[in-house]
Amino acid sequence: MDTTLKHQADLTDLNPKPSAPAPRRKNSKWAKLRKDYWLYILLLPGLVYFLIFKYLPMWGVVIAFQDFSPFLGVLESKWVGFKHFNNFFNNPDFARLLRNTLILGFYDLVFFFPAPIIAALLLNEVRVGIFKRAVQTMIYVPHFISMVIVASMTYVFLTTNGGVINEIIYELSGQRINFLADPAWFRPLIILQIMWKETGWGTIIFLAALASVDVEQYEAAIVDGANRFQRLWHITLPAISSTIIILLILRLGNFLDTGFEQIFLMTNSLNRSVADVFDTYVYQVGIRQGAFSYSTAVGLFKSVVGIILIYGSNYFAKKFGHEGII
Amino acid sequence: MKGKRSTKIVALLVIAVMLMLAACSGGGSNSNNNGSTSNNTGNNSGNQSSNNSGNTGGSAEEKPAPMKISIMIPSFSTELPDKNSPVWKAVEEYTNTELDIQFTPNSSYEDMLNITLASGDLPTIMNVGKTPSVISAARNGAFWELGPYLQDYPNLSQAHPVVLNNTSIDGKIYGIYRARTLGRMGVTYNKVWLDNLGLQPAKTIDEFYNILRAFTYDDPDKNGKNDTYGVVITKYTGPWDIMQIWFGAPNKWGENENGELVPDFMTPEYREALKFFRKIYSEGLVNEDFAVMDSAAWNTPFVNGQAGVFVDVADNARRLDNAMQEAAPRDEPYTIVTQAPVGPKGHRDMPTSGWSGMLVISKSKVKTEEELRRVLDFLDKLNDVEMKLLLGYGIEGRHYDMVDGYVVPKENLDAAITQELTGMNQLLMFIGEQEPGYAPTPINAQIAEVQKANEAIVVGNPAEPFVSEVYAQVGQQLDNIIGDARIQYIVGQIDDAGFDAAIELWKKTGGDDYIKEINDLYKAAKGN
Amino acid sequence: MNSSKYDSFGERLFDVLNYLFLAIFALVTVLPFVYIIAGSFATEIELIQRKFFLFPRDPSLSAYQYIFSSDTLFRSIGNSVIITVFGTLTNLAFTLSMAYSLSRKDLMGRNFVMNLVIFSMLFSGGMIPGYLVVKELGLLNSYAAVILPGAISAFNLIVIKNFFQNLPPGLEEAARIDGCSDVGVLWRIVLPLSKPIIATFGLFYAVGHWNNFFSAMLYLNDSKMWPLQVMLREIVMLSQVAVGDMSAFDPEFVEPPDQAVKMAVIVVGTVPILLVYPFLQKHFAKGVLLGSIKG
Repeated sequence: MDTTLKHQADLTDLNPKPSAPAPRRKNSKWAKLRKDYWLYILLLPGLVYFLIFKYLPMWGVVIAFQDFSPFLGVLESKWVGFKHFNNFFNNPDFARLLRNTLILGFYDLVFFFPAPIIAALLLNEVRVGIFKRAVQTMIYVPHFISMVIVASMTYVFLTTNGGVINEIIYELSGQRINFLADPAWFRPLIILQIMWKETGWGTIIFLAALASVDVEQYEAAIVDGANRFQRLWHITLPAISSTIIILLILRLGNFLDTGFEQIFLMTNSLNRSVADVFDTYVYQVGIRQGAFSYSTAVGLFKSVVGIILIYGSNYFAKKFGHEGII
Repeated sequence: MKGKRSTKIVALLVIAVMLMLAACSGGGSNSNNNGSTSNNTGNNSGNQSSNNSGNTGGSAEEKPAPMKISIMIPSFSTELPDKNSPVWKAVEEYTNTELDIQFTPNSSYEDMLNITLASGDLPTIMNVGKTPSVISAARNGAFWELGPYLQDYPNLSQAHPVVLNNTSIDGKIYGIYRARTLGRMGVTYNKVWLDNLGLQPAKTIDEFYNILRAFTYDDPDKNGKNDTYGVVITKYTGPWDIMQIWFGAPNKWGENENGELVPDFMTPEYREALKFFRKIYSEGLVNEDFAVMDSAAWNTPFVNGQAGVFVDVADNARRLDNAMQEAAPRDEPYTIVTQAPVGPKGHRDMPTSGWSGMLVISKSKVKTEEELRRVLDFLDKLNDVEMKLLLGYGIEGRHYDMVDGYVVPKENLDAAITQELTGMNQLLMFIGEQEPGYAPTPINAQIAEVQKANEAIVVGNPAEPFVSEVYAQVGQQLDNIIGDARIQYIVGQIDDAGFDAAIELWKKTGGDDYIKEINDLYKAAKGN
Repeated sequence: MNSSKYDSFGERLFDVLNYLFLAIFALVTVLPFVYIIAGSFATEIELIQRKFFLFPRDPSLSAYQYIFSSDTLFRSIGNSVIITVFGTLTNLAFTLSMAYSLSRKDLMGRNFVMNLVIFSMLFSGGMIPGYLVVKELGLLNSYAAVILPGAISAFNLIVIKNFFQNLPPGLEEAARIDGCSDVGVLWRIVLPLSKPIIATFGLFYAVGHWNNFFSAMLYLNDSKMWPLQVMLREIVMLSQVAVGDMSAFDPEFVEPPDQAVKMAVIVVGTVPILLVYPFLQKHFAKGVLLGSIKG
């Protein structure tokens, strides 16, 4: 960002030195403001929105430092400082929760994040329009099916007690696999469920990005003799790379978020050691102990980590010459 | 660098904004009654002034002006009555009130309740559970303490002391509970199978075991195939909780020989039950995948003729029968339901808590003791038999007919007429004299009999009234430690040593503190 | 990309595998939904007896009759349409304008605002403060309460801004040379070029509105204003007691609905919004943009 600004200043001001004397800089600032007058008008509604609906209610985060009771409100509820954070970090299960959360977040990033990209690229290679549109419409349907149904269906297909998949496995090998109870299968199941459910929906953004790629570049490349894969590598991928990076950075902001409902539904007494994550833990504690203060505290912790990850990855993205989100 | 500076500015702004607003928002008494929270009738603002204005005698009528009362209760349907419903009007007339019934969808009830508490704009009456927000509100004077007044009312004075105790907070009664069947559990069998094998429902645990074995190995559906088993259980651990009480385990907490409370899983009876569970699982008498089975599908194996025993609420016998009748109608019911079998420590069964929410009276709407008495009078009247009939079944001649002393609902009623009544039964507390009910079908008669007889054998949880701080902190974890260990033991993943280790872990994770805290509360309560 | 006769064997093999893979993927994702549709037209018994099927043996409309037996459901569909249409227009108006101005890299204060946005994405006050703000603004019991608090999704804003930034700068310069103002550039150049983006995020916002039930339940007391999802959720809620079974809450006076009803609820709640995407797909065709304008 700074280099661009400097660059433009060079072009328009004919003054390459970054540090101009103060009055000159002030003048050009006001001049810029007046020039960009319409841009500020366009900015205004959104800005007001953020201030009113996001920043005005933000005082709520202070309840992370209280024993908040809705009836008493923020002013009357007792202040407890870092008590909830202490409880959270000193909880004997903290290490396990952290490990499970991180591993799931990592699997999600490594396996699920690329899936819509790959699917979009594959769809992009389809030349039969009807097929492409039909597939696009079908693969995004699972996004609309609630997690409860998905969990039910998972049970029906995978149970050792007559589930279709297990019956097939039994026919083939004489054994059954206890997908639902075996801790070793929990994380793969979660990721497979997510991939089934959200890959199609995730392709939409990438298909939009792919639609914006300059067709002329492809035509020029074909004339130059590039085959499909070369075109993919040299034109398509770079064209959508900034979208991928943006989405990656944003995803890191939610790194510690796991799908609470999904995990909750798939957890049972036999796989809890790998299944319990921050979110399910907070929910369980929450329903006993007025959800508010404790869950706000944990949420605050996740937010802080998320912010660090976002700014950190943004920094690295820019270091490698890509555009960040700022 | 620009980035860093602007981040600092943002942070400062946020703090400034936060400080500014913490000063102006918040709950308690701060709210604006700009009328936009309350719905339709805007009764709330009128409530404060109009209550006693009629007492001076007014017009030719003798009774005072109707009292305006707003009530927040959960709703389980989307077709709800409004104040033009004849049922609604009939209640108002009988109790001399003007009602603002705020039906709140059950799925968002907790959230709406918390918001209502936070906004400080409480209705006259609210249905609440003993959640932390409610407990805190009660302790901070949000609700009237009702205990001393109950004896003055004909119906309310009949409230069951045990249930009242269960609903109490710090020993005080803040709300009138909505009664639910206490002895609701029962054992449902596939009657066809029992008949085929010449068996009777189990009276003892040994008989119970034999039935499970027979259902699994003796081809009870007589189809020549080995495709049946005994009892179907899912991820939901209710059946285990129920059955262990048959064996003599206490209901969550029990007194030991020193008069101290110990948790159920530390008793030898619990361990004996656990061994039994493990035995029936290893012999294939329970569905193999119970630990992971989706509880939404619980009824399916029974209805499909794979399992023959169902341990849950007794009224499920009716649902199971209905489903099986739909598939293949027959005159006799498919199911038979009985009480729990007798165990080594006698005839015992698990109760429900006996209530589902209690109606509290807010101090913000009801300012004087006189007004309080009028509200209590209203609640008392709702327990009269006429109100039980009205709110439960509707208006005679419009929604139902009385035939031979039984209620017979009218068939094929217009949806609009049914809607007049939907959800009104959530106002009922069911204290005092019982109203007439539906004519019993054989199954319903059985269910009623079982549930009535259960009242004598249910085992209460002595610690139920207590509010535990330790449990609030680590309760769920503690429950998980033992709950998971129980399941692992049943499927054979761990043995006695493993379960003992789980108990030790439980103690270390806060269990010891929990036991001490409960016992302190118990001693204090007994001392009263 | 239409150059099949120049493809090598490897490329043709890739095509075959690709089509096969996509076809399987499409089937695997859509079949469960076909089952749900089939189940909504089936009888209870069939649903209990057969685990999975694509055509009901004994079709029955009873689930749909049950759901549509009152006017309230139709009215709620109308409410949902209103909220979705006006909500999406609001979203796009707010988001596109803000994203455009933020995409101008030389805008003063840009970094400040961006940090504001990112920060707000991660830090939130929670449900109660949000409710109180809406209440203080006097918006309770109006559709504004359901539309305004979500007017801009920071995530969407950031991605759209990024798209605007990546449009070829040459076009903007050309337009300015022709005398276009900032708003003119936005209106005449940027937006038409961004049809895929607008379609995408319009869809995202629309789906968000259509599926939303929580803020509707929170802010709308009047059940006549409730959108579809609130109605449907109430019908299904009883059977979604993930934490155990019916003994849990107030089942003595309410019977859980049939399986078929649950499935019909999903069909009614989902099919309308599913149908939107195919209509938008023409905006995702390639090369809609640049070639023509460059000339």
